[in-house]
Amino acid sequence: MKTRSTASGPGRLLVAVYGILALAATARGLYQVATKLHEAPVAYLLSLAAGLVYIVATIALAKDWRTAAWWAVSIELVGVLTVGVLSLTVVDDFPDETVWSAFGQGYGYIPVILPFLGLLWLWRTGRPAETT
Amino acid sequence: MIVPLALLVVGLCAVLGAWALWFVVRDRAVVLRQLWGGAVVEAVLVVQAIVAGVLAATQAPDVDGVLLWGYVLTQLLILPIAAAWAFAERTRWSSVVLLVGALTVAFLEYRLLQIWGTV
Repeated sequence: MKTRSTASGPGRLLVAVYGILALAATARGLYQVATKLHEAPVAYLLSLAAGLVYIVATIALAKDWRTAAWWAVSIELVGVLTVGVLSLTVVDDFPDETVWSAFGQGYGYIPVILPFLGLLWLWRTGRPAETT
Repeated sequence: MIVPLALLVVGLCAVLGAWALWFVVRDRAVVLRQLWGGAVVEAVLVVQAIVAGVLAATQAPDVDGVLLWGYVLTQLLILPIAAAWAFAERTRWSSVVLLVGALTVAFLEYRLLQIWGTV
């Protein structure tokens, strides 16, 4: 079944925004883990993990690897919702911000919007190519 | 950071972003002249990076070096990537990517000022 590439048209914007978040989260996570891991290990390791998920999502979307993209975007959705709730309820374990804290508040809530757009896009492009 | 240089970067990004937005509305792909505009922004960013390097070396400000250079390098990467995509994606979506790129560079400029302790 021939499907539209996840990297074409609007997908390119998705790859761009995922790429920026991948860079932001990974760089932040590496920096935090390397310099002050003992201050908030849960939050900082989560930052790094989020960054790695974004890297996988970026590459998978850019390369049109649909299965990997589905997994990465789904994990991202679960992650941002879980960490979003936990960061507001179990404040003690999150003394410092992560990308996913408070549903991505520090990043203009883009982290909580992006997985929905990602899943929508994967679903849209997953259907057989139309004549339009 | 040098505030006038930072304002210049943000101003140029605003112009480039508005230009890209106009192309999004008109359903057009990025044109070469916009990439020249992006090159101007990039040139100012390179000047800023050099100035920051000189200031950091001579004045020894209380700035986290890793953080600062991480942002400086990231900021330098964004527009070239957007430009490369402008050649690959000949639809309105290259204009959207250029718009997002310009906004990102402007936002990183704000973060740079914060890291430097100016704002």
